[in-house]
Amino acid sequence: MSVEKRIFKIPVGPQHPALKEFEHFVFTVDGERVIDVGFRIGYTHRGIEKLAESKTYIQNLYLCERICGICSAAHQGCYAQTVEELADITAPPRGTYIRTLIWELERIHSHLLWLGVAAHEIGFDTLFMLVWRDREVVMDLLEMISGNRVNYAMSTIGGVRRDISDELKHKILKGLDILEERTKYYKEVCMKEQTILARAANVGILTREQALKLNAVGPTARASGVDVDLRRDDPYGAYDEVPFNVIVYDTCDVLARVLVRVDETFECINMCRWLLENLPEGDIRTKFARKIAENEVVGRVEAPRGELFYYIKSNGTDKPERLKVRTPTLANILPVCEMLKGGYIADIPIVLAGIDPCFACMDRALFIDENSEKKWVWSREQLRIYSIKWYKEHGNEVVRERWKQ
Amino acid sequence: METIELLILLLKFIVFPGAIFCIAYGFFLEWFDRKLYAKFQNRIGPLLTGPKGLLQPFADFVKLLAKEDITPVGADKLGFTLTPLLTVAVSLFTLLFIPIHSLTGVLSLPGDVLLVLFISTVFGLLIMFAGYFSGNRFSMVGTERTGLQFVGYEIPFALSVISVAAAARSLEITNIVNYQVNILGLPLIVFTPIAFAIYLISALAKLEKIPFDIPEAETEIVGGWQVEYSGKKLAFFRLATDLKMVFVSGLAAALFLGGPYGPSIPGLEPIFYTIWFIIKTLIVMFILSNLRSLFARYRIDQVVHGFWKYMVPLAVLQILIVEGLIFMGVI
Repeated sequence: MSVEKRIFKIPVGPQHPALKEFEHFVFTVDGERVIDVGFRIGYTHRGIEKLAESKTYIQNLYLCERICGICSAAHQGCYAQTVEELADITAPPRGTYIRTLIWELERIHSHLLWLGVAAHEIGFDTLFMLVWRDREVVMDLLEMISGNRVNYAMSTIGGVRRDISDELKHKILKGLDILEERTKYYKEVCMKEQTILARAANVGILTREQALKLNAVGPTARASGVDVDLRRDDPYGAYDEVPFNVIVYDTCDVLARVLVRVDETFECINMCRWLLENLPEGDIRTKFARKIAENEVVGRVEAPRGELFYYIKSNGTDKPERLKVRTPTLANILPVCEMLKGGYIADIPIVLAGIDPCFACMDRALFIDENSEKKWVWSREQLRIYSIKWYKEHGNEVVRERWKQ
Repeated sequence: METIELLILLLKFIVFPGAIFCIAYGFFLEWFDRKLYAKFQNRIGPLLTGPKGLLQPFADFVKLLAKEDITPVGADKLGFTLTPLLTVAVSLFTLLFIPIHSLTGVLSLPGDVLLVLFISTVFGLLIMFAGYFSGNRFSMVGTERTGLQFVGYEIPFALSVISVAAAARSLEITNIVNYQVNILGLPLIVFTPIAFAIYLISALAKLEKIPFDIPEAETEIVGGWQVEYSGKKLAFFRLATDLKMVFVSGLAAALFLGGPYGPSIPGLEPIFYTIWFIIKTLIVMFILSNLRSLFARYRIDQVVHGFWKYMVPLAVLQILIVEGLIFMGVI
């Protein structure tokens, strides 16, 4: 067999067991080594930004929440916070504290979920099952507070929708104790289990320079030694009052990404305790006028996956003129391609999972024509019509082409 | 008279302890493994089909038989159809050499240890063919991985068996069992614990279980060599995996744990021996299930590296120990 013949392309996605969502990557491999990575995003475009322009500010709360299932509170909170700034109102302290508590509980749930997924990707199903069992504790806490397990619908413009009673506070503190104990155990497992170390240490390297250059965010950046955390750098919510540490590791590999998240979980647990113990008295929300004068505001929060960016422009009506979202996964997609190059096929799933990707939140269908640098945006319907037309013309060729390969 | 003997032999081949018993026991082992694996992961496992889900593997098999069977355009038709059948046939054939109801297998001939070792390597080859014939890219990677892993585990596996054969000074499974029962009076695991450990680890690789499920790694290459197989063919592959489990645990019982021998009532040996066989294989299976719930999947280079760097020297050391023991007259 000649040398050229051994080099072939492996498609990963749009449907692939390693990806929980639809996204397309093409890996050029030489035997087991990955030489080059190409990717195509946009499979889960839902036209949310366009839809937001036809809904009122209150309705959009629930739309934004549905951008992502895992970090729904971060999206909703960020939206609410941005609109508050737009309308020039401030949420009362108790409301802000409860909102921050939800953010941190969500971070615990997101990081534990990620740990389970990562364990599954390296074929450690026992850890996956156990972590997800214990994640139920925090899910139950969130359900007790908000009434929902996934989309909590807690934040509203001007505060939060539900209060936390003293009885509930006691229950949450109890749940946090269980979580802390279990997370300690998992940290020990991650640091001592030889098979995990063999698969995670020195895999998917992203140096500090690359991370800065390619604009990595969140735990991915913090695992590469980049000391960024919006909660400290640009405090919002109650973060300027809560004491916490920013976790930074500088080994730049998957193991660092695991440890950053596990250590952050401890920080979250401590923050939740502090927030509950220092919960101020008072109202949980203020009133809000339906119409907002012309204005534009950029809002940012540190979602579990990294920096989440919202831009909202108002035009004097009760609907936004423009809503723009940039999710952390989009920022991390270039760094992840860099991490994959030079690695093994076997490392693809864990490295991909390493950034905790959420493609559904990322896809906003921005088309860039590489030759003329022209940019345009399509709605879902246009995209659908285009795809039907395109496949009518090219469908047969594509199918034939695929068989040939 | 001759026809009756022939009939009995045929019954041995087909019913007990041949095909039907082995297949039924294979399904039972799969259930045992799944149930145990689920317990370790704080799950319940098969529950509804039959008492405690006992019939689930059988139900899976029947369901797969009824499913649509697709042969891809890019596949080699003959090879694609033949490999699953061959795999089942080969696994059933090796099982005839395993002593189940008496101290001898249904088939027994001088040097059958070598024959069984040889045929068990054919398992690996057949898996490679299976991936190669289906002409899928993921299968290709799976095939390459099977080949590489094969290079890793086959030598330590053979060496661990050889050390037992050396201790019993025979290459016949019957003689090795007889040696443990009648001459030594002890199972050989007492003198060859290292070989037993190496045997189990290589067996995990042979069965493609975690941490060595690299050729079919679901999250990496979508099932590897078995991507394109569906319906009856997939059912046969799964059956073959169950049979391999019986083979691996049965061979371990025969070589290391004194075969199916155990306390019994004179005259009822076949029944008691079968029960002892089941107990011993379940012990082996218990260890295997434990191992597979404890680890994450290794990478292929780590596997080959680990087997050659640690397992092979250890296996050689075991053989030296056995030789030393023979020299000193202990065994």
